Amino acid sequence: MRAVAGIGLRSPHIAEVAHDRPATGFLEIHAENYLTGSPALRTIERLRGDYEFSLHAVGLSLGSVEGLDDTHLERVAALAERLAPALISDHLAWSVSGGRYFNDLLPLPYTEEALDVVVGNVLKLQDRLKRQVLVENPSCYLGFAHSTLSEPAFLGELVRRSGCGLLLDVNNIVVTAHNLRLDPAAWLADLPASAIGEYHLAGHAVNDADGEPILIDDHGSRVSEGVWSLFDAVLERHGPRPTLLEWDTDIPALGVLFEEAARAGHALKVRAATDARAA
Amino acid sequence: MNTTRIAIASALAAALALPATVQAQGNMEKCYGVAKAGKNDCQTAKSSCAGTSKTDHQNDAWISVPKGTCDKIVGGKLTAG
Amino acid sequence: MLALRDLQAALAGIVRGEDQPRLEAAVIGDAITAAARLRIYRHHIEQSLTTALAATFSTVQAIVGEDFFRAMARRYVAGDLPCQPVLAEYGAGFPAFIAGYEPATSLPYLADVARLDWALNFAFHSPAANHLTPADLSSLPAERVAELPLALAPGTAVLRSSYPIDRIWRVSQPGAADETVDLGVGGVSLLVLRREDDAAFVGLSEAEEAFLSAVERGETLEGAAEVGFQTGGAFDLSTTFARLLALKAIAATQHHFVERVEKAL
Repeated sequence: MRAVAGIGLRSPHIAEVAHDRPATGFLEIHAENYLTGSPALRTIERLRGDYEFSLHAVGLSLGSVEGLDDTHLERVAALAERLAPALISDHLAWSVSGGRYFNDLLPLPYTEEALDVVVGNVLKLQDRLKRQVLVENPSCYLGFAHSTLSEPAFLGELVRRSGCGLLLDVNNIVVTAHNLRLDPAAWLADLPASAIGEYHLAGHAVNDADGEPILIDDHGSRVSEGVWSLFDAVLERHGPRPTLLEWDTDIPALGVLFEEAARAGHALKVRAATDARAA
Repeated sequence: MNTTRIAIASALAAALALPATVQAQGNMEKCYGVAKAGKNDCQTAKSSCAGTSKTDHQNDAWISVPKGTCDKIVGGKLTAG
Repeated sequence: MLALRDLQAALAGIVRGEDQPRLEAAVIGDAITAAARLRIYRHHIEQSLTTALAATFSTVQAIVGEDFFRAMARRYVAGDLPCQPVLAEYGAGFPAFIAGYEPATSLPYLADVARLDWALNFAFHSPAANHLTPADLSSLPAERVAELPLALAPGTAVLRSSYPIDRIWRVSQPGAADETVDLGVGGVSLLVLRREDDAAFVGLSEAEEAFLSAVERGETLEGAAEVGFQTGGAFDLSTTFARLLALKAIAATQHHFVERVEKAL
């Protein structure tokens, strides 16, 4: 897929997109919303002729010590086969324990043990899908004292051992760095740039935890200026990639998403032009 | 052929002969559309602030009283059913 | 050091409201304590699952209001976390939970409304499978048709309630007219259906409900018709069958059977 900007397609906008077919770089959908027999999947299939798709899973639980759920894996694989999306991704996180699902992207300790677990799960996923998947850095609200690797170093090892790509969520870097007292620039420096296959951008909220500000990845507002400037730094360091604008809470009119995506698209073009001049 | 089968035979003949438009659907209540399709997402709920209360919402079920369209639903005995 | 398996099980314990001192000790705390950091995840899980239930059981929420609904849903979530990750399929046990939820005893119809919400959700997420059409039957002698084993189309469900849940549903939809429902009008039988682009329900007469319940049990057309005739009420098989075919309520599972019958002729 070319390094263009797209939007996350959410249910309140499906009818409008299906009717108006507005121009955008690509559309990303959450796999878990299209695994049933609902009419929504057929609507997406009708859009396949006009749009490139990215399939973003939120429930594979790649960090689960219990391994991938075969039933869920088969459902996602069947959907991937039907839609033939340009990109497939999920998160560096886990969401199930003892057979119960928490519907959350829960944090991993960055240890050799966890690395073995994630590598095994990603290999199994790629083996079943017969293609590379992208793994996204999560938003973290806590870190573990026994972690022996930094998050980017963990992702780097994961890429090396599984052959997966990375989905770099720039907002998540800002959220995690603030909450865990890390330096976003140092975080970026450690990353294997060639593995990056997609960027995510979204808004976050500033909440209060015990009187301290904490950033919450609520996808409920415009992308913050801090995230935009880090995005510029990311582009300068790693180059343009397909870039997605996500909005999941207090979802505004479709036009607002396109405004944000246009700003991302402009940043991608400026960087591509600068790179072309330099070359 | 027993009487049920005779009744079925004639009823089916009549049913299959009815044009589709005659088959009134009654008061159909539509309720869903694709706008109802998506529940899974990957953001964090805005109100997931850390909070300080350890007991969280232990008693709120009893404090809270139903306040919705139940006001429109009247009569009947509580023991009905 | 906390092994990954123990760490994940301990975090699951936090979600259920347990104290997990070993996990808390493994989390780095500072101005924001380890406990407060863990609570963010717990609150998110509670919030997001409660929100998913509110979307599925939107009529129940309209009836009781958001505050009451969220308190009730939180209790349910704590005791019955999802067994798979697709949220559209979460909440099958919620109607039964509501039936036993003490603060809701003043609303005895609430659990049945929840069953209707769930049936509509289930129908919406069921595949739009092939249904029985008049063309499937027209080539067969009626006597053969009488022997066809019938089944409801996927997502189709028959719902009985001692309360007028159809009217309760109607006055609880967004933008509904400001009218009241008298519980004194009594119970209702409903047929919930997956349709082309949505899910819907229609009212059933007593005989229609008896006929369809027999179909649901896997009776042949003849067996179901006999059940319908026995209800004593006015049962018009012709109109009932025509209506059910038009509603696409009967599954085409007997296509192969029809073909077999045709070959045998």
